[in-house]
Amino acid sequence: MKTLKQASPHVLLLIYVAVILFPFIFVLFSSLKESNLEIANNPFGFPTSLYFQNYVDAWVKAKINVYFFNSAYLATTSALAGVLLSAATAYALVRMRYLKVSKIIYQFVLIGMLIPGNVLFIAQYLLVMKMGILNTHWALFLPYTAGALPVSVLLIAAFMKSIPNELEEAAVVDGLGSFKLFYKIILPLTLPALVTVFIVNFLGSWNEYLLANFFISKDALKTLPTGMVGFRDSFQTNYALICTGIVFSVTPVLILYAFLQEKIIEGVSAGAVKG
Amino acid sequence: MKHPLRNPFVYLVMIIPTLILYSMFFIYPMLTSSYYAFTDWNGLDNYAFIGFDNFIKVFSDSDFIAAIKNNMYFILFSVGLQVPLIIFFALLIANVKRFQRLYKTTVFIPSILSTSVIGILWGFVLHPNIGPVNKFLGFFGVESIFWLADEKWALPAILVVNAWQWVGFYIVLVLAAILALPKEMNEAAQIDGATGFQRAWYLTVPLIKPIISVVVMLSIAGAMRVVDIVLVMTNGGPVGSTEVMASYLVNEAMGVNPSYGLGTAISLIIFAFALVLTALYQLTFGKTKE
Amino acid sequence: MKKMLMTVIMFVLVSTTVLAGCGNNGGNNKPAGTNNGNETTPTPTPTEEAVKAKPFTVSLRHIQIGEAQKFRKAILDDVVAMTEAEVEGLTFELDAVEDSVNRFTKLPAEMAAGNPPKIFDLFGGAGDALKYGAAGRLLDLAPILTELGLSDSFLNLDQFTQDGKVYGLPIGGNTEGFYYNEELFATLGIAQPTTFEELEKAAQTLKDNGYTAFAMGSKGAWVPAMLINTLIGRYAGPEAIAGFPAGTAKFNSPEVVAAYTKYAEWVDKGYFTKGELGFEYADMLNEFVTGKAGMMFDGSWRSSVFSDEAQAGALTNKFGFFSMPAVPGGVGDQTFVNGNYSNGYGFSADLTEQELVAVKAFIKNLYSEEMQLRGLLEDGLLPSIKLSADATSKVEDKIVKQVINMMGASGGAFSHFDSTVPSAVYKESEDLLLKLIAGKETAQSVGDKIQAVQDAQ
Repeated sequence: MKTLKQASPHVLLLIYVAVILFPFIFVLFSSLKESNLEIANNPFGFPTSLYFQNYVDAWVKAKINVYFFNSAYLATTSALAGVLLSAATAYALVRMRYLKVSKIIYQFVLIGMLIPGNVLFIAQYLLVMKMGILNTHWALFLPYTAGALPVSVLLIAAFMKSIPNELEEAAVVDGLGSFKLFYKIILPLTLPALVTVFIVNFLGSWNEYLLANFFISKDALKTLPTGMVGFRDSFQTNYALICTGIVFSVTPVLILYAFLQEKIIEGVSAGAVKG
Repeated sequence: MKHPLRNPFVYLVMIIPTLILYSMFFIYPMLTSSYYAFTDWNGLDNYAFIGFDNFIKVFSDSDFIAAIKNNMYFILFSVGLQVPLIIFFALLIANVKRFQRLYKTTVFIPSILSTSVIGILWGFVLHPNIGPVNKFLGFFGVESIFWLADEKWALPAILVVNAWQWVGFYIVLVLAAILALPKEMNEAAQIDGATGFQRAWYLTVPLIKPIISVVVMLSIAGAMRVVDIVLVMTNGGPVGSTEVMASYLVNEAMGVNPSYGLGTAISLIIFAFALVLTALYQLTFGKTKE
Repeated sequence: MKKMLMTVIMFVLVSTTVLAGCGNNGGNNKPAGTNNGNETTPTPTPTEEAVKAKPFTVSLRHIQIGEAQKFRKAILDDVVAMTEAEVEGLTFELDAVEDSVNRFTKLPAEMAAGNPPKIFDLFGGAGDALKYGAAGRLLDLAPILTELGLSDSFLNLDQFTQDGKVYGLPIGGNTEGFYYNEELFATLGIAQPTTFEELEKAAQTLKDNGYTAFAMGSKGAWVPAMLINTLIGRYAGPEAIAGFPAGTAKFNSPEVVAAYTKYAEWVDKGYFTKGELGFEYADMLNEFVTGKAGMMFDGSWRSSVFSDEAQAGALTNKFGFFSMPAVPGGVGDQTFVNGNYSNGYGFSADLTEQELVAVKAFIKNLYSEEMQLRGLLEDGLLPSIKLSADATSKVEDKIVKQVINMMGASGGAFSHFDSTVPSAVYKESEDLLLKLIAGKETAQSVGDKIQAVQDAQ
C-alpha cells in the first residue's frame, strides 16, 4: 500500500516526462526513415534501416551550418556586449556615489521591462531602415543588445548591492583608480551574476524569431529560427528532411544544456523572479 | 584628485553607452510609434495626419476584435489551466525523494528551445495524415482531426503547444521556491497526521504565494506577447481563428499592403492592454505579496 | 547632482538623435562586417568599354526553389553563368525565396524601405509592378528594350507598362486550367470533360469512389483564387476582370456572385481536399501527383512536373490538361481562357553604371530566343517573346502541346484580377475567399464586402 502511494507521484511525473520527450523521439526516428510513406505507416516504430542520407541532404540543401554559425556568433556577441554594458552601468549606478541621479536613471532603465517585445517591433524596424543597416547583422546585434539591458542591469545591480563597501574603501586607500576598481575588484566578485546574465541573453537572442525574420532577408545572413522556417517552407512535403533539420537545430542546444543545466536553470529563473 | 567613486568622467563613460542604446531602441521607438500611429504612412508615399482614424479602423475590424479575444483565451488558459497544473507538478516533484533532478531538468527542456523550431516540430506531430497524434487517436477509432486546419481545433492546439513549451519553465521556478521553504513546518504537520494533500494545500501553497503571483504575472505578460508560435504554425489562420494582436500587427504592417501607421497604432494598443492588465493584476492580487 | 543629471540627459539626447538620423542615404551604408557587396564605383564615362574590371556583385532574387522549379532554375543558372562571363568583374549573388513570401512579404517591405535587390522576381499589375513603378522604385526598361532591339519582341507587356514606361519583363506566359489524372479517369470510366455538366459529374464520381475531386491547398489564399478568377471570367465575362477598378464590373453583381456561389457549392459538396485550409500549394501538388485526387486547377507553369519521373513517379506522362468548360448562363465569350504574362523580373531604379551594364547583359541573355525555347521545351513554360514558327513545332511534351492548342483554339485571354485591382482590394478578396471556404461568409456578402473596399479606393 505504501509503495503504491510512493509510486503514484512517479507514475504521474513519468507520464509528464514522456509527453515532453516523445515529440523529440518521434522526430528523431522520422529523420532516419527513408520516405514519407514509412513515416506514415510506422509512426511510432524504430526505422527499419538507419537512413542517414537525409542528414547529408539537409546539411547541404538547407545550409544549416550557415544559419547555425550566424545564430551562434550573433547570440554570443550581443550577449557579451550586453553583459559588459550592463555591468558597467550597474557598477556606476550602484557603487558610485551619485545616488540621487543613479536612482532616477535606474528607474528609467527599468521602465523598459514593462514594454512587451512586439510593441517596439515596427518602430524598431523603421529605425533600422532609416539607419540603413537593414539586412545586415547590425540590424539584429543592436536591438538584441539593447533589449538585454534592462533585465541585465537589474540582475547585476541586485548582485552588486550585496558587496560590502569596505572592499572598495580598502582598494581606494591602496590607490586604485575607478576603472581598476571596477575590473579588478568588483567584476570578479560579480562573476556568477555575469555568467547568469550572459546565458539568459544568449538564449534569448539564439531563439529570437520576429526581428530575425523581418530585419534580415538575405539567406546567407539568416539565423537559425528563420532559416529553419524557410527550410520547412521550401521542402514542405519531404517530412523526413524537415525532421532532420529539426534535429540539427535542437541538438546543439541540448548538448549545451546537458553541460550547463544548473547554471541555465538558475539564470533563467533568477531573471524571471527579479522581474 | 577626485575620489574614484565620485569620478564624473568614469561615471559617464560607464552609463552613456547603455543609455544611448536603450534610448535608441526603447524610448525612441515608443516616441515614433506614438507619432506614426496618427498618420497613414505606408512607406512608399508621403503621408498625412489622420488623427484617430487608424484606431477607429482597427477597432471596427471584426478580425481584430477576434484577435483580442484570442489573446484573452491565452490569458485564461495560462492562468486558469496552466497555473494549477504548474503548482500541482511542482509539489509532486518537490515531494519525491528520488529522480528529482531528472524530472527538474527534463521538464525544463522545451523552454530553452526556439519557439519557431517548436512550431515546426509540433506542426509535424499534429500533421493530419502522418502525425503520431492522429495515429494514436486512430487506435481508439477516432477519425483524423485536421488540427491546424480546423477552426475549432487550431487555437486549442496552439494553446497546448504553448503550454508544452512553458509549463516546465514555471514548474522549475515554483519548485525552487518550494524547496527553499523551511522543512520543519512540513515535518511538524506530518507528525501531526496531516495528509500530503492537506499539507500542500494549507501549508505550502500559502507560503509560496509570492512566486505564484510572479508566475501569474509572467503568464499574463507572455500571453500578451505571444506571436512566434502563431506565425510559424498557422500564421493566424485558418480564417483568423488563431490570430492574436501581435500576429494581426505583423500581417497588417508587413504583408501585402504594408501600413506602418496602422501597425504602430496596433503596437500602442497592445502596450495599453499590457499596462492595464498589469495594473489590474497588481491592484487585485498583488496586494497579497508580503 | 543636478549638473550630472543634466550632462547625462544632454549627452543621451544628442547622440540618440544623431545616430537615429544618420545613414539616410538610400541604404548604401556599409558598416563593417556585412555581406552586402554593392560597391558604388564612380565611373566618369558611361560607355561599356570604359568600365574597368573592378569586381562587383549584383543581387538577384529569384523564386526557383524546390523540385518543381528545378528546370527553370537550371535555365537561370545558365543565364547567370553566361552573363558573368560576358561582363568583367561581375558576380551574381543569388537569393532564393519562396514565391508568395517574396511577393507578399519580402518585396513589399524592401520596396517600402527603399532597398530591394538589384534584380528580382516581380509580378505585374496594379498591386505589384505598377505600384512600385509609380513610386519610382523600378528601372524603366523601355530605353533598354530599344537599345537591345527587343521593343517589339514581347507578346504582351500590358501588366508591366504604365504611362509609356516598362517596369518589368515577363519570363513567360501561362494559363490556368484543370490538370487531370488520365489513368484514374480511365479506371473510373470518366472521359475528359468537355461541358460543365460533365465536369461536375466527373467530380461527383471521383468523390463517390473515395478520391478527392479537386486537389486543393488553400492555406495560401492565392491558390483557390486562381479557380475563382476563371469562374468569374466565365460567369461574369472576360471584360469583368479588367473592369473592376474602372467600376464597369462590380464584385457584388449577380454574375460575379454566381461565380462565388458555384465555388461555395463545390465546397459544400465536398469536392475539395479535406482540411484544405491547412495545406500548402506544395501539398496540393503532392496529393494530385500521388494519385489521391483526380483533378487539380493550377497554372501551366506546373506542367514540367508531370513529365519528370523524379517527381511524378509511376504516373509520369499520365496526366492531361483542359480548360474550364463554358458555364451555363455564362456571360461573354466562353472560349476565352485565362492568360497571364504577369511573372518575370524587375530591376531596381537604384543602379550604378556597372550594375546597369550587368542588367542589360542579363536581359539580353534571358530574353533570347534560345532561352525562351529552352523554357518551352524543358520547363513547359510558354514563351513571352515571339518565337519563330518552327520553334513551337519542336514541342514534344504532351501537356504543353495541349496547352498551346488550347490557347490557339480560344477566343482570347483574360488576366488575373490580382493584377488589375489595387492591393487593398486583393487582400480583402483573399481574406473573404478563405472565409467563404470555411463557411463563414455567403457568396453575396463576399461580393458586397470586396466591392466596399474597391469603392473606398
